[in-house]
Amino acid sequence: MAPKQKVIIRIEDLHKAYGGEEVLKGVSLEVMEGEVVILVGPSGTGKSTLLRCINQLTVPDAGSVWVQGIKLTDPETDIDQARQHIGMVFQSFNLFNHLTALDNVMLGLMHVLEMDKDAAQDKAMMELERVGLANKHMNYPGQLSGGQQQRVAIARSLAMEPVVMLFDEPTSALDPELIGEVLVVMKELAVGGMTMLCVTHEIGFARDVSNRIVFMEHGVIVEEGSPKKILNNPDLARTRQFLGKISDLH
Amino acid sequence: MEVITVLIPYILRGLDVTLKVTAVALGFGLFFGTLLAIMRVYGGKVLSNLIMLYVSTIRSLPHILLLLVIYFLIARIVDLSPFWAGSLSLSIISSAYQAEIIRGAILSVPPGQMVAARSIGMKRLQAIRYVVIPQAIRLAIPAWSNEAAIVIKDSSLVYVLGVPEILRQAQYYSGRNPTKPFNAYLAVAVIYFLLTFLTNRGLDALEKRIRIPA
Repeated sequence: MAPKQKVIIRIEDLHKAYGGEEVLKGVSLEVMEGEVVILVGPSGTGKSTLLRCINQLTVPDAGSVWVQGIKLTDPETDIDQARQHIGMVFQSFNLFNHLTALDNVMLGLMHVLEMDKDAAQDKAMMELERVGLANKHMNYPGQLSGGQQQRVAIARSLAMEPVVMLFDEPTSALDPELIGEVLVVMKELAVGGMTMLCVTHEIGFARDVSNRIVFMEHGVIVEEGSPKKILNNPDLARTRQFLGKISDLH
Repeated sequence: MEVITVLIPYILRGLDVTLKVTAVALGFGLFFGTLLAIMRVYGGKVLSNLIMLYVSTIRSLPHILLLLVIYFLIARIVDLSPFWAGSLSLSIISSAYQAEIIRGAILSVPPGQMVAARSIGMKRLQAIRYVVIPQAIRLAIPAWSNEAAIVIKDSSLVYVLGVPEILRQAQYYSGRNPTKPFNAYLAVAVIYFLLTFLTNRGLDALEKRIRIPA
């Protein structure tokens, strides 16, 4: 899947500090349409903060973010409107606990996109089918495995027809035998041309489907490049050392 | 025999009032308590502190004192019947306690729920309404059941304003039958017990019925 040359996400010199501790120290990054970009790096490096600063769930201290040319860091921007088009998948799934799988997917369709109930239900069923869970539509999150919950969460995001999907360690909270089913769904998305920015340590996934791997440490981007280059022959010893460690684990 | 033909009907005339006072106090208390809780959690520093002050004040004073103070305050401004003055006073008192109950429940809903709702583009108020509150209500039921029991019993306080609820009726009866003051009070005790017991059992059943399947 060769990326087209349209910028979907543009991040410029992003800074974020928590209580005096600077987590992001000037990060700039572009993600093109159809591109799959993997963010890796040691924990506490600012990867998740960077994702959250994109859709402004975390408000950056300085720097700018554009998604499809709309400047999200501009206080004039209707951020609720903008977030509809930026899918986000969380490490801990965050399905709405009091709603069935179907209602989880329908909620945004009805109250954000203001679809009527029947149309929302059809659309939600379609999205659940896409992640292979149409038969579980009446189950509550507590009645689903972690892998199933994460697939419903992906369906919930996809239902909003996002222009980009942000994945924040989507498989880190899963038992090893459940990781595969989530990665399969993510692969299908990637192959289908979805623009994706993923924080993950799944090196196999990165190798197979990503266009670019970005290595972050201590709040800055240390090195980036094609998966081939970063995984086999990175410029920096630190990149090699880190990736060597997580590859051993998998 | 006289107990059944005279005493019970006499006291039951007050039951209607007791139930109405309780319903008004719990209903308005729930409405305002929920509003206060939402503003306390999501309303920013100034609003949150103001509400904390309101809640602390009410929780620090005897209910009977508040009832008298509020009654004489309201009675100066508008012409309210003792029934409404009493019921609204109890609503104001209960709203403070219910605000704390709902606030605790809201804070027990995992933060990721709000984050997820915002991430699909829901506005803050929509996320509160469709995601946080439905879960908070479920978590609040046991503590709310306790508050309901307190309000049922506190409904007897409006008797100081001359509202003829069951305790007042019992007192009238005892006044007229000074040889058997015990009968009337015992009957009232049984009624309070039944009201509280049935309310708590009913709320237990409700809690089980709307529990999220897992």
